[in-house]
Amino acid sequence: MKDISISINKVDNEDKCSGKAKYVADYKLEGMLYAFTVRSQIAKGEILKIEYPELPNGYYVVDYKDVPGKNIVKVIYEDMPVFTTGKITYLYEPISLIIGPEKQVLNDLLKQVKITYKEEEPVFEWTDSVVHYHFDKGLGEKAFQGLEKVEYDYKTSYQEQAYIETQGFIGYPEKDKVTLLGSIQCPYYVKNAVVQALGEKEDNVRVIQATVGGAFGGKEEYPSLIGCQLAVAVKKIKKPIQLIFEREEDMLVTTKRHPSRVHFEGYVLDNKIHGLKAVVGIDGGANIGLSGVVLSRALIACTGAYKIDNLDISGDVFRTNTVPNGAFRGFGAPQMFFAVEMFFEHVAKKLGIDPLEFKLNHLAKQNDFTSTMGIFRDPVLMPEMITKVIETSDYLNKRKEYEKSEFKGVGMSLFFHGCGFTGSGEQNHIKAKVKLKKDKDKVYILIAAVDMGQGVKTSFRKLVSHILEIDIERVIFDNPDTDFVPDSGPTVASRTMMIVGGIVARAAKEMKDRFDEESFVVEKQYVQPEYIKYDEATFKGDAYPAYSWGVNVVEVEVDKDTYQVSIKKTWSVYDIGKAIDERIVMGQADGGLAQGLAYGYLEVMEHKQGKIMQKNMTDYIIPTAMDMCPMETYLFDNPYAFGPYGAKGVGELSLIGGAPAVAMAIEQAIKRRVFKIPVTPEYIMELINNGEN
Amino acid sequence: MVTSYIPLNLDECLKILSDKQVRIVAGGTDMLIQNRSHTSMPIGFKSDVCYISNIEELKKIYEDETFVYIGSVCSLEAIMESELVPELLKNTILEMASPAIRHTATLAGNIGNASPAGDSLVPLYLLDALVEKRSIKGVSKVALSDFITGVRKIDLEKDELITKVIIPKISFTKSYFKKVGPRLSDAISKLSFAGAYKLENDLVKDIRIAFGSVNVTVVRRRDLEERLIGKTKDEVKKMVSEIVDWYEEFIKPIDDQRSNKEYRKSISLKLLRSFIENIE
Repeated sequence: MKDISISINKVDNEDKCSGKAKYVADYKLEGMLYAFTVRSQIAKGEILKIEYPELPNGYYVVDYKDVPGKNIVKVIYEDMPVFTTGKITYLYEPISLIIGPEKQVLNDLLKQVKITYKEEEPVFEWTDSVVHYHFDKGLGEKAFQGLEKVEYDYKTSYQEQAYIETQGFIGYPEKDKVTLLGSIQCPYYVKNAVVQALGEKEDNVRVIQATVGGAFGGKEEYPSLIGCQLAVAVKKIKKPIQLIFEREEDMLVTTKRHPSRVHFEGYVLDNKIHGLKAVVGIDGGANIGLSGVVLSRALIACTGAYKIDNLDISGDVFRTNTVPNGAFRGFGAPQMFFAVEMFFEHVAKKLGIDPLEFKLNHLAKQNDFTSTMGIFRDPVLMPEMITKVIETSDYLNKRKEYEKSEFKGVGMSLFFHGCGFTGSGEQNHIKAKVKLKKDKDKVYILIAAVDMGQGVKTSFRKLVSHILEIDIERVIFDNPDTDFVPDSGPTVASRTMMIVGGIVARAAKEMKDRFDEESFVVEKQYVQPEYIKYDEATFKGDAYPAYSWGVNVVEVEVDKDTYQVSIKKTWSVYDIGKAIDERIVMGQADGGLAQGLAYGYLEVMEHKQGKIMQKNMTDYIIPTAMDMCPMETYLFDNPYAFGPYGAKGVGELSLIGGAPAVAMAIEQAIKRRVFKIPVTPEYIMELINNGEN
Repeated sequence: MVTSYIPLNLDECLKILSDKQVRIVAGGTDMLIQNRSHTSMPIGFKSDVCYISNIEELKKIYEDETFVYIGSVCSLEAIMESELVPELLKNTILEMASPAIRHTATLAGNIGNASPAGDSLVPLYLLDALVEKRSIKGVSKVALSDFITGVRKIDLEKDELITKVIIPKISFTKSYFKKVGPRLSDAISKLSFAGAYKLENDLVKDIRIAFGSVNVTVVRRRDLEERLIGKTKDEVKKMVSEIVDWYEEFIKPIDDQRSNKEYRKSISLKLLRSFIENIE
């Protein structure tokens, strides 16, 4: 039998390249109305009065008074209203929808809405802690006494997902049902949120995924907000309604990667970090939402790819009057890995040791304890992976050579990503279910996983056809529709192939045994590996069932006149267990690294008095093909017992190492210490004028 | 309702400009963005518009002994492919926008838009380009530096049309353009710099320096350039710090979402320094 990793054409290539694929904006339903959002023009205060213009016949306003159920969007932490009842907590907070048949009229009506506010002083400083976590490992801070302290501070800023397709839904009534068709990652998150907001029976809410033009985490929880708003409107008006964001609206109001600050204190003896104290802050924006989970995933990653015996780790989510931040590929890890990789580099330099040697001396091994006293149970291939990256990139010689030259540099990052939900999240919260249906000569995959470009449709059909040893054309995988597929959980957390694919593989094996039966359904549920025991409150135990690992080497040149950075080449090695399709994994590897590199040196996003300054694709700079470089990538097989064919998580891993690697390369090129990302030419100039080496 | 006029020749166009109140659209790559509205809604023009891109007479590039003439609806891509156009301008166009935009956008449009960050303006100022304007009353020529009067302000009457961009034929020993954008393609400049000189027997016969995106319009100071003419290249190179000081007061950039004034100023002056030091 052929190795499953051997690539096939993506099954949606033709539909997407020919324009046949239907995105939400491509659907025009008869009598469809449009919804425009009325938004606050202040960052903090109370609405005293709203005056709407006289509405022509067939036009409607929908606001909090129309919410039949609970006026709170159901996400992990419930503090975001579907529509505000009057309290304004950030600029452009949604107040109501104006709905009607003509966009031009809606545009004019929107301009005539008069809102009187009682303004309050908005909070942009990180002072209002709304989530606080703390955990120790080993002796905690008691172990620090008498050791040499080395401390540094690191900062990261916003990152915008910049999916090609903006957020959007069409909602319509179907008998007793409200149905939503949308650009989403998590059909059941939207469904469950709408059920709560409408106070409806589960059967009366249906959510269907349209072809998704990119998501990167941006369509994890945010669609639940506008999905609820639209469902409320459909329930009231009983007509099909489209709510699709314009690009600027999308960039101004949707969730972004949390800006972070990390203070590290390393306690050193004999050139080894024996103790680490971390004080971490992230900016949650106006709502907590997923911020607590982002923080906890960041904290768990506090030791990077290394083993440190004694930890004193704390962190806060700060609430500010800014756009709420949320899920983004990496989910806390990109911030923490930037900080910890730079910290190891800086501590080594301070101690006068070669940073790579210093890192190798701390590298975690199989059976070592993790930061939360879990165990790295599977083989850790990092030494071999590092050897491979050194051989292919000529890292050691370049590193030595560029020490002597100017404006050239090379950097190496070592990192991992915890695959799937934290701890017992899968078992306690998600409880993923999958179905495989055989109907004569066809097999249907019934799961809620979304192909947002990452290739789930291809890899799952391939997985099932491979196990059943049938032609891939006989395996059908339609976009999920909650009326037909069970809740296999959200398409997030690098869990889809490892967790959902693992359950699907079990179902397929059972189906294979009964394959001569004509029509039947196999249903399977997630079973937690016995070894996983994790206490969320104390951060103790196995935080993840498995880890994917990676090494990036990045070579840069910095222009001596303008300080513009050009990336010459990258070399990467990843252990993702086993690739279900090599080309798909390579696509994730290149795309993730480009996004990670850009996070490190290119993508600037800031707010001024709560207003996002880079609000379109002209001003928010993501890399073009001209800015990227040849990328050499190698995969190491390291099968994980519970993943299908040994597969672990892929989606997020490749983003994580880019920022620290490019920052270290720039650090070498300019001979100045880098403490924040993005490392823009403006920051490089500041460092060259005032920085230290 | 917005009425769109699509004249097929110049006379027709000038008549429309004379009779009607219209905005002129050439390539439209800036106009469409500036007047954007919701997806699947008509472009939000606030007045009637006249689309000039079908006027064949304005699509020619030709020369005589002293000038190169570029018709005002020639696309940037067509200008880049012409053998008549000076290298300095071609090198600049290559760094502008993206291939798709370059196939539609025009040089005259970049002039008409009069953005402080208009990339082509920097070499055009340096080359002493002229703008030909026409109305039913007649034709006139004006120096580009007089034509652009401020941020998005130009000296063009409502019945006038830019018909040509006229570039004097000058030979330089070396000419140089540097765009500093936030990325390598499809980006608006943080700053830009152009420099050119002509040496004869090591004597500076001509030297020109222009800066973009660091003031309301392109910064070019003939008075400062003239101080250098007639000196030997080594004398000029020795004066580099002094020259940088001369220009310092004219570089007045702003902070915005793309960069900050410290960077813009410092890098502009650095590029000037590097340009002077590399005179060979």
